Amino acid sequence: MSISDASPSDTRPVNLVPVASWMQINNMTAKVVLSGHVNVYTLEGVWTQIRQEQDAWLSAGKGQNYSLTLDASQVTSLDGSGFAFLIDLEQAQLKAGAHFAIDGLDTRYQPLLREFEPIANLFPVPVTKPKRSFVVSTGMATDNFLKDGAGLITFTGHLASDLFWSIRNIRQVRWGDFVNAAVEAGINALPIVGLVAFLIGVILSFQAAIGMKQFGAVSFVGPLAALGIVREMGPLITAILLAGRSSAAFAAEIGTMTVNSEVDALITGGLSPMRFLVVPRVLAGVLVAPILTLYADIVSIGASMVTMLAYGIPFSNFYNGMLNAVDLEDIGSGLIKATLFGIVVSAVGCLRGMQTGDGAAAVGISATRAVVSSIVLIVLVDGIFAYISYKTGF
Amino acid sequence: MSDSKNNIVIDVQNLSIGYESRVLLQNLNFSVNSGEIFVILGGSGCGKSSLLKNLFGLYQPLTGDVLIEGQNITKAIGVDRQKIMTSFGVMYQEGALFGSMNLLDNVTLFMEEYTKLTKQQMQLLARCKLDLVGLLPYESYMPSEISGGMQKRAAIARAMALDPKILFLDEPSAGLDPITSADLDSTILDLSKNLGFTFVVVSHELASIYAIADKVIMLDKDTKGIIAEGDPKVLRDTSTNPQVHQFFNRIMSKEAA
Repeated sequence: MSISDASPSDTRPVNLVPVASWMQINNMTAKVVLSGHVNVYTLEGVWTQIRQEQDAWLSAGKGQNYSLTLDASQVTSLDGSGFAFLIDLEQAQLKAGAHFAIDGLDTRYQPLLREFEPIANLFPVPVTKPKRSFVVSTGMATDNFLKDGAGLITFTGHLASDLFWSIRNIRQVRWGDFVNAAVEAGINALPIVGLVAFLIGVILSFQAAIGMKQFGAVSFVGPLAALGIVREMGPLITAILLAGRSSAAFAAEIGTMTVNSEVDALITGGLSPMRFLVVPRVLAGVLVAPILTLYADIVSIGASMVTMLAYGIPFSNFYNGMLNAVDLEDIGSGLIKATLFGIVVSAVGCLRGMQTGDGAAAVGISATRAVVSSIVLIVLVDGIFAYISYKTGF
Repeated sequence: MSDSKNNIVIDVQNLSIGYESRVLLQNLNFSVNSGEIFVILGGSGCGKSSLLKNLFGLYQPLTGDVLIEGQNITKAIGVDRQKIMTSFGVMYQEGALFGSMNLLDNVTLFMEEYTKLTKQQMQLLARCKLDLVGLLPYESYMPSEISGGMQKRAAIARAMALDPKILFLDEPSAGLDPITSADLDSTILDLSKNLGFTFVVVSHELASIYAIADKVIMLDKDTKGIIAEGDPKVLRDTSTNPQVHQFFNRIMSKEAA
């Protein structure tokens, strides 16, 4: 049914779409007949059609003295979207300086319609966001970076002082939280750390063996892999897994507490969130990181041993070769590094959690930032450590 | 919808609710008529909000049925359940606005999913809803940037997005100042008396209850059932149940004992 020739006196069922029809009586006057149940579903499409007719009609003339009448006498029910439709028609008329009148609208709808006045408020002028120039956005990014760095340094200072406090007031540390965090970050991480460590051990020795075989040096693969695992791979994979699991978990947990004002409640209750939330988690990180690293070392070397068996190197040869290459010093160096990684990963998780903004999305952002910052700092610490150990021979 | 008045839109039959082995309320029977403002009362922890969540199908009752416009929501599954759920709007106690969207987008979200209106039309519609609850100037604010009372009002606007005929409101006027609360009451009355909306409201605010309620039920923690039912003003003046009398006349528990 075309909109323009619909007759208002049709005897069609009231709930049949379309619920509105456009009638142009002459150049200056037009009429919209509204009928049946006018709601958000029945207005689909009709709303746009009527508005297009109206715009075409208004733009044909100058709009002055054009008069649109809305006949609402056949309306069965009108709800919120019906009001919005009326308001949309009225606003288009007023904008063109033309007249608008509503006929036959049931009195029960009048008080609600009046609530929307003045209707111009419902049509705000769209504001375009001012675009930032390259210089401004670069400056803001730099500023953010510096602020972030300053925040990190401040946090490190607070953390150091509170760690010293925890040594002197060992009874006041929340050991319950410490145990929970250590179980969550440590024992529950054993399967995934073991899996990845096993894979690394296999791949490392398998790939090395392919190359070494050409020179008949397969027997050196074991000591090489073991040294690499103990000094670098073990601490690194453990730290990265800790960053993905526990740093994100700490950030999300403390972040949710920040969003729910729980951190504020600690502060106003006279408790330091650093001592209450951060210290137990950092201590847990310090404890579990070296233990997990040692575990990863053992699993990885075991995997390497099994792989080399496939190349005809018996366990005893692997073991003796490894003893010649790997000192206790190497293991110690790896474990010290792992401890540093543990501090970095758990502290950064807590820091990002404390920096959480508002809302559910902010918690997700914090968890993401915790993982990214942790990994960046792991790389940084690893680099510094490598330089020091190269210079000192440790 | 004056012709359909006194039609039952929500029918509760032998409803028992609770969590696993803990029964909160049992053997509730009541019905809500079309166009009625129905208020659920009761002391803290008696299961008002839980009852509401059972009524609109978020929780599954232990036993019994809830019929919404004749359809049994406790038995419905899949698409049928979804269809029943689009026939009403819900405002949660905490507002539960989507934190990543501004107020206008919060209201248009459900329209985008269920209607084929254009973006401008949906935005105009959403602005009308926000105007009804007095939040038009705040359409571009994020939920975290407005006060708790405003979040509640925005949540009512969102509940009305698809023009449902039934609205469930969980403590709409708690935390609002007296003027805003009175405005909200008048909007609820307008919608109910003029557009025939049915409201199921959980509320503690006596002033608001006297202003809007057509019918109240009062729940009790100890008897796990309804201890009073009817017009709040009549209950206030005539009820002989000491607890009901205490509630409506704001008497401290020690004085009554």
